[in-house]
Amino acid sequence: MHTLFYIWRNLKRNKLRSALTILSVGFSLALMTVLNGYTAMQDAWGAESEKYHRIVVLNIQGFSGMLPIAYVDRVRGTEGIRAATPYAWYGGNYKDEQMPFAQFGCDPKAAFGVWDEFSIDPKQLEEWQKTRNGCVVDRRLADKRGWKIGERIPLKGTFYQFDLDLVLCGVWDSPKNTDSLWFNWLYLDEGLREKNAQGTGNAGTIFAQVTSSDATAKVCQTLDERFASSDNPTRTQTESAFFQMFADMAGNVRAYIFYIGLAVVFSLTLVAATSMAVSMRERTSEIAVLKAIGFSRRRVLVTILGEASSITFLGGCLGVALGCSFLELAHRAASQIVPLSVSEMLGPWLAYLLASAAGIGLVSGIVPAVRAAQLSVIDGLRRVV
Amino acid sequence: MSEAHLDNGEPVVAVHDVCKEFYRDAITIPVLSGINLELKRGDYLALMGPSGSGKSTLLNLVAGLDRPTSGTVTVCGQSLESTSESKLARWRSRHIGFIFQLYNLIPVLTAFENVELPLTLTSLSRRERREHVEAALQVVGLSDRSHHYPRQLSGGQEQRVSIARAIATDPTLIVADEPTGDLDAKSAGEILDLMERLNREFHKTIIMVTHDPDAAVRAKQIVHLQKGVLVEKTHAGQE
Repeated sequence: MHTLFYIWRNLKRNKLRSALTILSVGFSLALMTVLNGYTAMQDAWGAESEKYHRIVVLNIQGFSGMLPIAYVDRVRGTEGIRAATPYAWYGGNYKDEQMPFAQFGCDPKAAFGVWDEFSIDPKQLEEWQKTRNGCVVDRRLADKRGWKIGERIPLKGTFYQFDLDLVLCGVWDSPKNTDSLWFNWLYLDEGLREKNAQGTGNAGTIFAQVTSSDATAKVCQTLDERFASSDNPTRTQTESAFFQMFADMAGNVRAYIFYIGLAVVFSLTLVAATSMAVSMRERTSEIAVLKAIGFSRRRVLVTILGEASSITFLGGCLGVALGCSFLELAHRAASQIVPLSVSEMLGPWLAYLLASAAGIGLVSGIVPAVRAAQLSVIDGLRRVV
Repeated sequence: MSEAHLDNGEPVVAVHDVCKEFYRDAITIPVLSGINLELKRGDYLALMGPSGSGKSTLLNLVAGLDRPTSGTVTVCGQSLESTSESKLARWRSRHIGFIFQLYNLIPVLTAFENVELPLTLTSLSRRERREHVEAALQVVGLSDRSHHYPRQLSGGQEQRVSIARAIATDPTLIVADEPTGDLDAKSAGEILDLMERLNREFHKTIIMVTHDPDAAVRAKQIVHLQKGVLVEKTHAGQE
């Protein structure tokens, strides 16, 4: 019989208590998994973006500032730029759904040059380029919605005072689900002009692909210097930095997650310690018997620490599984918010969570374990022997 | 059961001029004073006396669970008063078998696993451990209950498992504290028969604390303690 076997039997001693402790650790770790998964997703998304050495130009004031459409050609003409397109967020409602997927106005002739890892049937691309109100979508989005080529996709403007009446011309394949729809930026701009509405001539942002990652920093600097003295100075950054900017808008999320994690770990340690202390109190005479028949202090200590760690580790496994399941479901349901599958952001953070769970067990078990190890056999047996 | 410890004439238990005092705040409570006792291999001693007379304290000293305030306690050739805690733990696992009044079996382990527990501290292989456990359970007549948990056994059966656990490592000395104190008359009789057999057939040295005169007469010697002093020593049949 081994120590592990004895630990396992003890875990099953009071099934209700063990289950409640495992569940309390599990649900808390599930929360931490979701929070840490969010930051891991950002890191993975950023790392993914780096591969394609794209840059994003926007007004120095951010999204509220104007980025004249004329800048697109000037960006294209800059040394080190391979392709560039306006990329204007539309944010319309589809039928009764509020902004159910991402919609961007771009240049049909340049978009697949900027996102050259995307692929589309050349005939479909040609059709889109010919059709003013044409659009193309990510294949996953088309499949999810059951859209076929030629489908009418009406979008009601919320930010822009012009509704789009789009026709699906093609679907693209991409390494990651973008959950996006692209339409011709000119279609939007013309509509706004016809209505004499605000927002005409605004590219929103400009996405561009540079020839090599080595040139990225220099190109960003060149572009910002070029527009520095204009009415609309720019801020140019890498695509990954651009996405990070979105995360930063919500404040220092990483710091929030860190402090929430600390609070969770602290409260879990108290929960686990209480459970272990009660368990040890109930088994005082049993521990005394173990010591009487020859179990050393160290063996008693290891047994109890092992028991505490096992119970929180099991809770940790449950929590990580729950958290990952939630992230995966969120990815399938709302890939705009959770763009990566769990399998795409596996990393040390998961091991860190499991190690934290086991660590909570170790810390929570220290006091009961030391007390058990130091227990006087005579006191423990209540002078039975 | 093997005959691991050969008789070389030396006493298994030698207690000389032992005093034991407990301290509560500033108060000193003398529990044992001037105790002298010797047991040879194969002896079977019953310790009797009223509550608080020091029986259990003396048993704890002999079993290596406590140290005397003064005097010497030598058991199986080991001087216990100055031995470290960890050495004592190892020593107990090799030389002492414990039988408790309340059986003190581990409830989450089967009878087999309870008996195996002290053997896990030895270097025996799994197969050898199984042989020892099966032999011990056979001695106590519970081979057919080896996979039962303590809650599935009667009090008498639990105590027999406890005895099997005590003899599994083939110890030189068995200490028993009120082994029949929690049993009905029939089960108590069976346990006393078993202990007598361990002494007679397997030559185990046994010290048994008891209040029950009927249990005490089953021992070869009876020692009475009163207020921490040995007052009477009788041999079986003399009471």
